[in-house]
Formats: sequence, C-alpha cells, structure tokens
Amino acid sequence: MDLRPAGVNPTAANSATAGAPPAVAASGVTKRFAGGVVANDRVTFEARHGEVHALLGENGAGKTTLCNILTGLYRPDEGEIRIDGKPVRLHSPHEAQAAGIFMVHQHLSLVDSLTVAENVVLGWSRHGGVTFSARTVEAEIEEIAARYQMAVDPKARIWQLSLGERQRVDILKALYRGASILILDEPTTVLTPAEIDQLFSSVREMVAEGSTVIFISHKMPEVFAIADRTTILRKGRSITTLDIAGTDARQLARLMVGHEMSFDVHPRAAGVEPKPAPAQPPVLALEGVHVRGDFGIDALKDVSLEITAGEILGIAGVSGNGQRELAEVVAGLRPFTQGTIRIGGENVASGDPRDAINRGVANVPEDRMGTGVSPNLSVAENLILKSYRSSSPHSGPILLMGRAETQATALMARFDIRAPGPGTLVRQLSGGNVQKVVLARELSSGPRLVIAASPTRGLDVGATEYVRGVLVEAAKQGAAIMLISEDLDEIVELSDRIAVLYEGRVVGVVEAASATYEHLGLMMAGAAS
Amino acid sequence: MNADLIVSIAVSAIAYGTPLVLAGLGELLAERSGVLNLGVEGMMLMGAVTAFFVSQTLGGPGLAVLVAAIIAAALAGAALALIHAFLSITVRVNQIVSGLALTIFAGTIGLSSYAGQVWGVGGQHGVHQLVKLDVLGLSDVPVVGPILLNQDAFVYFSWVLVALVTFYLFRTRFGLYLRAVGESPRSADAMGINVTRYRYVHTIIGGAFAGLGGAYFTLAIAPIWTDGLTAGDGWIAIALVIFAFWRPDLLVVGAYLFGALSSLGFTLQTHGVQLPSEFFSSLPYIMTVVVLAAASTTLARRRIGTPAALGVPYVREES
Amino acid sequence: MIAIERNLVTPRWQRVALPIVSLVMASIIAGIVLAVSGHDPIGTYQQIYAASFTADGALTATFIYATPLLFTGLGVAIAFRMHVWNIGGEGQLYMGAVGASGVGLLCGGWPLPILIVMMALGGALAGLAWALIPGLLRAYLRTNEILVSLMLNYVAGLFMYYLIYDSTSFWRDLTSSSALVFPQGKNLLPSSDWPGILLGSFTLPFGFVLGAVLAVLLLALFRFTRFGFEMRVMGDSPAAANYAGMRTRRTIVAVMALSGALAGLAGASQIGDFGHVLDPRGLEQAGYGYTGIVVAALAMYNPLAVVIVSILIGALTNAGFALQGPTFPIGLVGTMEGIILFSVLGGEFLGRYRIRFGRAPARAPGLDDEPGAEVAP
Repeated sequence: MDLRPAGVNPTAANSATAGAPPAVAASGVTKRFAGGVVANDRVTFEARHGEVHALLGENGAGKTTLCNILTGLYRPDEGEIRIDGKPVRLHSPHEAQAAGIFMVHQHLSLVDSLTVAENVVLGWSRHGGVTFSARTVEAEIEEIAARYQMAVDPKARIWQLSLGERQRVDILKALYRGASILILDEPTTVLTPAEIDQLFSSVREMVAEGSTVIFISHKMPEVFAIADRTTILRKGRSITTLDIAGTDARQLARLMVGHEMSFDVHPRAAGVEPKPAPAQPPVLALEGVHVRGDFGIDALKDVSLEITAGEILGIAGVSGNGQRELAEVVAGLRPFTQGTIRIGGENVASGDPRDAINRGVANVPEDRMGTGVSPNLSVAENLILKSYRSSSPHSGPILLMGRAETQATALMARFDIRAPGPGTLVRQLSGGNVQKVVLARELSSGPRLVIAASPTRGLDVGATEYVRGVLVEAAKQGAAIMLISEDLDEIVELSDRIAVLYEGRVVGVVEAASATYEHLGLMMAGAAS
Repeated sequence: MNADLIVSIAVSAIAYGTPLVLAGLGELLAERSGVLNLGVEGMMLMGAVTAFFVSQTLGGPGLAVLVAAIIAAALAGAALALIHAFLSITVRVNQIVSGLALTIFAGTIGLSSYAGQVWGVGGQHGVHQLVKLDVLGLSDVPVVGPILLNQDAFVYFSWVLVALVTFYLFRTRFGLYLRAVGESPRSADAMGINVTRYRYVHTIIGGAFAGLGGAYFTLAIAPIWTDGLTAGDGWIAIALVIFAFWRPDLLVVGAYLFGALSSLGFTLQTHGVQLPSEFFSSLPYIMTVVVLAAASTTLARRRIGTPAALGVPYVREES
Repeated sequence: MIAIERNLVTPRWQRVALPIVSLVMASIIAGIVLAVSGHDPIGTYQQIYAASFTADGALTATFIYATPLLFTGLGVAIAFRMHVWNIGGEGQLYMGAVGASGVGLLCGGWPLPILIVMMALGGALAGLAWALIPGLLRAYLRTNEILVSLMLNYVAGLFMYYLIYDSTSFWRDLTSSSALVFPQGKNLLPSSDWPGILLGSFTLPFGFVLGAVLAVLLLALFRFTRFGFEMRVMGDSPAAANYAGMRTRRTIVAVMALSGALAGLAGASQIGDFGHVLDPRGLEQAGYGYTGIVVAALAMYNPLAVVIVSILIGALTNAGFALQGPTFPIGLVGTMEGIILFSVLGGEFLGRYRIRFGRAPARAPGLDDEPGAEVAP
C-alpha cells in the first residue's frame, strides 16, 4: 500500500487526518483525446477525509476531465487513482459509485417525468428486491433531507421543481447511497445567493461527518467561502495545491491564468460616447408581454423593456426564470399571449420568426448547434440560411450557390471562421467556429436588434473574447443588443443597462456603471427590486 | 339495442381485440424503453404462421400442441425483434426505416408467406383450436357469463399479462428503470442502468408479444393460414399505444373498442343493417385516423405519455 | 476492445459502393435462406436473372414492374429525405389509378397527347389529395403521419373494391353479362394507351421515360431552388428551419403533396401504360407502394439512383411473379427485399463509422465545447 505522506503541501487544516491516506488521490494522470488534445497532463491531486477541496481553473483547464476520470466515465491513459490509499481502476460511473464517489454534474442526472423518490432509487435501492415502496423511500428521503437541511418534497415530479431544488435532489441521491466523496461541478451557476448559502451549509454538514467534497469552480469568492484547500489546474496540468487560509484571490488568479491579471476597466467605459439622445425612439419596446411556457404556465409575466440603438441591455437572472422565453418571443419563435412588442415603433406579429427577421432582428440562439445552424449543410449554405429568400446570392426561385460561396469566403475571412472552405459541413467545425458562422450570418445583415443568448457558453477564452468584441462592435455600429447570460461578470462587463428577470418578471433595471453584485444578486433572488 | 346485440358485440370485441391487446402491450414495452418498432405487422404474421405450422405438425395431446405452438409463435416474434433491436440499438440506424424493413421482410409477401409455402400450410384446415372455457360453470349467466366467463384460455392469459405489465411498469424497480431509460437514457446510464440491455430485452419481449398476438389469429379466430391475414392489425396496435398514452389499462380499452369496430359490420349485417361491407371494413382504419388526430392535439397541448427518448438512439459521450 | 468512431465525411465512392455491397450481402444471406429451405441458390439466381433480363420479353416485363416502382420510389425518396414519413404510397397509387382511369374513361377519344396529360394530371391530383390528409394532419395537428398514411392505404384499397365489386359506379363494367357475374372495371378505349418506345424486341414504357425525366427535375429542384434549399434545411434540422423563418408547415404539406402526386402518377401509369382498366385485386397484389420504400432506401434517397434501383427491384419483382410457384414462392421477394434493406441500413452504418480494434483514443467532447455546451431543452 502506498503510504507516502499525504499532500503536496501538508497543512494543518485537518491535522486529525493528515497521517491517514487521502480519501481520493490521482497521481500522474494523463488523458489524451483524438486530435492530439491532452486534457490532463500528469495531474496530481488528492482530497482528504473531512475537507472541502476546490478544483480551480479556467474553462478548458481540465477540471471536468479529471472529475470524469475520478468517476469512471473516462479511463486515464496514464497514472493511477487511489481511494483510501488503494489503487483502483474504475470502468464506469457505477463502479465509482460503489466506491463511494458521486458527482453532481451541471447537467443533472435526473428524469424529469419521475418523482423525486423515484429518481433517488434509480439504479440502486437500499432494500433491493423487485418491488419498491414509494412510501418507505419517501420517509428515508425526508430523514436525510432534514439532517442536511435540504428541504424538498419527495412526491414532487422533477419538472415541477426549480433548478436549485433539482440540484438538491441530485445531491440527495448521492447521500441516499452513502456517498463519502461528493464532486460538485460548478454547482452555484444555477443558484440564487440564498440557495448558495443553503448549499454551503449542507456541504459543511457533510464534511463535518467526515465526507469529502470536491468543489469545481472558477469563482474566487465561493472558493474562499467554502473550501479548505484548493488545487489549481491550468492547461491540463496541476499547478499546485494550497491552503485557503494561507492565500489570497490575487495569488490564485495569477496561478489560474499563468500571469498577473490586469484588472481591466469596464471595456465599454473607455472611450464610449455619452448615451444616445433620449428623444430617439427605442429599437425594441416590450409592453406588458405575457408568454406561456412549455408546461402551460406563464413563463413571462407583464414584461416591459426598451432597448435603444447602440445600447447593450443585459438580461441577468438565475437560469430558468424566463430568459429563454424572452429571447424566443422577441425572435418570433414563441407567441405572446398579451401585450405588444414593437420594433422601430411598429408592432410585430406574435410567433412569426419571418416577420421578426424582416424587421431586422438578428438572433444568436442559446442552442447554437441545434437551432442556430443546419449541421449537415455547408458553411456557405448556413450563411444564406435567412438571406436565401431575398438578397444577392440568388435570383428568383433559383439559388446561385457559386455567388453564395464567394460571399461566404469573404465572410469567413472577416469573421475569422477557420474551416477548409465554404463547402465544409458545419458539424465538422469546433464550437467556437460554429458560433462565428452564426455571428457572421446574423451580424453581416446589418441588424437593428441583436438577441444574443449565452453567446459565449462553452467557448474557450479566445473565442469568448472574440464574440464579446463582435457584439460590442455591433452596438457601436448602432444595433440594439439584448444580451442574455447566466454569467453575471459577462453581463456587468458588456452592458449599458441591466434588467433582472425573476420568475418571469422584470424585477428591476439598473445602470451597469452603478450596479453592485450584491444588489444584482438580491434582485436575482427576488429579494429586491 | 337489446342485450343480445350488446353481448354479441362484446364477445366479438374481445375476440378481435385480443391480438391487439397482446401486440399493443409488446409495442408499449418496446416504446417505453425508447425503441419504436414498426415491424409489429411482420412479427404478428410470423407468429401466426409459425403457430399454425407447429399446431398442424406436432402430434400429441391438443393442449400440449397448442402450448408448443404459442411458445413457437412468441419465439418467432422475438427473433424478428432481435433484428430490429440490433439495427436500432447497436447499429443505431433510423428506427422508422428499420421497422418498415422488418415488416417488408416478414410481411404479406415476405418471410411469413415464404414460410407458409415451404411448410405447406396454405390450404390446410386447423386441427387444434383454442376452445372456449366454461369458467366456474357459470358461462350461462346472462350477459356476464358469455362475456367474462366463457372465453378461451388465451384471453384470460392476455388479461393476466396486462395486469403483470402494469404491475411491472409502476410497482417494480425494473419497471421504474425501464421508464427512466425511455425518458432520459443519459440519466439512467449515469445511475448505472444498462440502457442497451433494457432496450434489447424490452424490444425482444415486445416481439414475443406480437408473435402471440399473431398466434391468436390462426389458433382462435379462424383455423386457417393465408398471406397477410392480420390485415393491418399490427399497425393499429402501434396506433393504440399512442392513444393509450403508453398506459396498459387504456390500451386494453382501446383494443376492445377497435375489436368491436372490426366486427361491427358483420354483427350489424346479421341484424339487418344494409350498408356496403367496405364501409364497415374501413371503419377501424378511419377511426384510427380520427382518434390519432384527436389524441395528437392532446399530446401536443400537454406533454404527457410519450417517452421523451422514443426513437432516439443512445450514444454515451465516450465509447 | 472494439471502438466505434464516427467518420465526419463520407467519401463519395462509399455512396456508390455501399448499395452494391449491400446487394451482394443480401444475395448471400438470401442464398442461405434458399439453401436452408431446400432450394438451390445458384440455380434460383440464374432463373431470376433469366426471368428478369435475358429470357424472351423478360426485359420488357422487368420494366413493367420498374415503372411504378420508379414513381413510388421517387415519392418515398423525396419525403423520407425530409423526414416526412409517407408510407401511404400504396393508397395514393390506388387513388391515382382511380383518378386516371376516371379521366381516361371520361375523355376517351380525345387526342392522345392531351389525353395523356389529362390522365397524368388526374392520377397525380388524386394521389396528391389523398396524401394531403396525413400531410395536413401532420403539419397542423402534429399527428403521426406514418400511421395515418398507412391506415389510408387500407381505406383506399377498400374504396377501389367498392367501386368495382360492390356498387354500380362509373368505373365498373356493367355491359357484358360475364362482368355481372365476375365484376370488373370498364376498359379504356384502345386509343387511350400510352405509347411505349420500341427498341427492337424491348418496349420502354412511356411512364418510365416520364419518371426518369421527373427524377432529373426533382434533383434540380432539390439542389438549385429555394424550395429545395428549404427542404434540405428542414430535413436536416427542423429547429433551424423554423429559426430561419421558413414556413415549415407549408413545406411539410408541399412535400407530402409532391410525394403523393408521384405515387398518384404510378397509378396513372398503371392505367395508361399497362392495365387500361381499374383492377383493384391486381394493384393490391403488386404492392408497388410498399416496395417503393425498398427502392428509395436502396437508392439512399437520391432521385437519380432511384431510376437505376427501380430497374433492379423491378427485375426482382418480375422474377417473383414470373417464377411464382414451388421453385420460387412469392414470399421470397419480400424476404429478399427485407434482407436488402437490412444490409443497406447496416452498410450505411459502416460508412458512417469506422470500427477500430484495439484501444482507440477517445474523441474529445471538451475540445472546444465543454459538456455543458449541450443545452437542455
């Protein structure tokens, strides 16, 4: 048995367990993907019993890959995983669960149409046997929920729950199965500040009982609030492991990025013209708009908003509070039941995407691969996805693809789309390049209004910067921009004004320059306006 | 309407509805796992011809022969379903095309017809047939007797199957896992449920049930084999699953309603109603269209019933 | 360990090789079925070949079967490509035959070119109208078009029977005494026959030429027109089509209508080219509508390939009917068609994926987009 002294930096944080083998450890773990990408490069990491261990790193630093290895979803190409000092080979999440390791993904592993109790016993039941008694399971869940202060109705169906409650169900599932090592993958993105506090107190309860919680994040304040130690990953490598008590945000940020962070001023603040004259009519005006959601309940209630030319309006809120419906209703992809939507002063038709397009609405949708492009068509064809009806690449009912390709080549250069040629199928492109195809199509039409829903989600740092730059540029050209994002930093950084959605209502609109995170957070939780 | 007419409609509703119950129940299981199998018609025909062949060829006591014939029909259906399972689950081809291929393969001018020819059962008259039982000696009780207590063993067996499937789906762990696989295979997989195994097992069981449904034609409804004798019942069974909202209890109701409709023309004609026979024959098909259209508005309004992953192959992130 | 990897691009040669390999595989498997059931596979294949191509009049007979399959195959190809599952070609063909024979009977004696156009229109419109039922239901109520179109096949079949066997309809021959005992349809005037093209002893049916021309037109429609562009986007991603402001419901209805019109033309050609009479039993036995699915799938839904494949499957069907009897039961036709379909489906998979033996480097889901990029509905 491997009994090396635990920890790269032995600390006093958990002196009681410092001599014992770590709860889970990875040494020299390397994971390569096809195409030569090394997602994990000789990563060394260990988490002790009774600690909250933060895995800190930028998008693409290898945090998720490491955790997928720890939970048996991926197998490492090199290196070793040890649980309680014993080397293990995990071939599936199920085996990892048998060893006590559970992961709560951002994508929760829940079945929407089943009840909480049914979800909890999915795949494993304490009692075995063929039949299952919903009543017994419900009682057991209530008992665990009470112990960890995670109130949830075990009889409720998942689709009836808020995202925060759903996450609780996923955690309950792990606790029900006796998890001793719990991995939380960026658990706070879907939570309100109050829910975050509640989650943290549950987490403290767990570690107090000797469990290990591995906390994946890239948000500094959270790490300081909850973690005992942190391991920093950068470009697939483990940089170091530190005691939280002995470090500060600046040091962690430097280690994450690899160089000193330049805390830039608000990019829009520098050299931005004063606000357009208020006399100008708004490009987009919503008045008392109601929209029905997927389950027949109103997803937007009495929403009134205005965006003027050259303005970026950020829509903040915890996801699932009506953002998707807002983007869809303005783009004409979803009908509204009450109110009016005006673009340039004229009423738009309800639920008619073509009408919106004709009025100069560009839409960068959240689901770019599923909605924004036709994946098995070429780049050139995707670039004329909307313009094929009217402008240059064709005349009459006949399409002139030659012209479309020439135009596509120019757009590919202008928007830095890296593809072998205009004939390349879009599904062969990387996520960043797909987003650039969408942007090229939407912005090259000279839109009056741009809807951008989570435009940088899942993109790497370079592509993110590029996308943000393009949006700011479009605003400078005079477009009105509705930026919807779960990333509050992004909203604050890019917007002129910020509107906060909570349970389908606009709870407040504030100037970005004077907004504080605290106030925004309270509004997102529905606690302020 | 007099009691006689009601009884005769109910009795023939059960007779014609029983194959629909069996085949529909099988398709329901397959679809609950997320596999759409449009090969029901083919599997039923294979079941029908296989059951007939075994019952004609095997010697021995009638009961044993019939049991053997029924088992053989189930195996024939299951074997065909295995082809669809392999293509749609492992190879992940389009399930619609694969199911159509199965029906063409085994259908009216396919393997079932070929088997009938090779086995030479075409012109034969059935030797062994399922007989009506006199349950508790009460078959003479008015109305209830002929409807509930004077059916053949297969009908009672189908009732037991319905109860079993209902219990399995909603009261057992495995039924719960099955529903999860059809709704969200990714979540089910993450919870250690073997999605592939669940889909294979239920697609194959579905095929066996379709085979049983086919066997009822040649062993009970009429003691003969002709090409394509199921006349679209396999398709109606698939439609039934949709408007039963994937629930076994509603499926039985629907199946007997269609059974009644199938026999309505014959029943009414014997009672002196004069309309073209084609009109009555086309009623089940027209009703299917009408009910499907009605059900689809309900389905669209409230997302109920449809397994969310129906027809979608499951691929894990990393193989 | 065996790993399956997705090929991003399908090489062009594979699209040609695949159907051929599928046919060869199907022949081998069907050969095994034949051998197991006590037939001589090689001998049977020789018989099929002779009956389809080389024997006296065989090629002409093959084209009799290929012509309707060309139309129904095109109808299926155009619909399936858009993921509009019209399997009602059978019923649409019946209605097309009813329409075309009605027009032919009404306009008997008209100048042939006009009559051909009228009959073709009659058939196409009847098929189109019949296809509109599942098309409109699918587009506006989201009703499953597979089941609706299929149910309507039975209804159309019964309707044909009613016209000829159970009524005194315009289509039924009520003049001769034998026709009253054995009901049959009215014959069209001989001057209404569509002119075949004589090439030596081989007759190329007019309908086949028409179908081939339509195949080229359909390909052009698909590749070069706005409507075709919309169809391609809708077939690939309905969400993207809706997002781009395309009228998806109208396109679904239009595709269904086009598909039904093509099947209706198959019915018209049955009357004009071959039968010259509405014959419910013959049409039902032939099952051209269902076989059209086989043709389209084997042609990988490419209209030009449908032209060639319709000849191949026409040959097989011809052999099935020509050799019908103990040596070659009709059931073998469907069996072989099924096996061909299975092989095509399996082969398509081999084209899409590479099977690797040994440990394969995994694809990187987190290359550029983290797993979170997959957006929940």
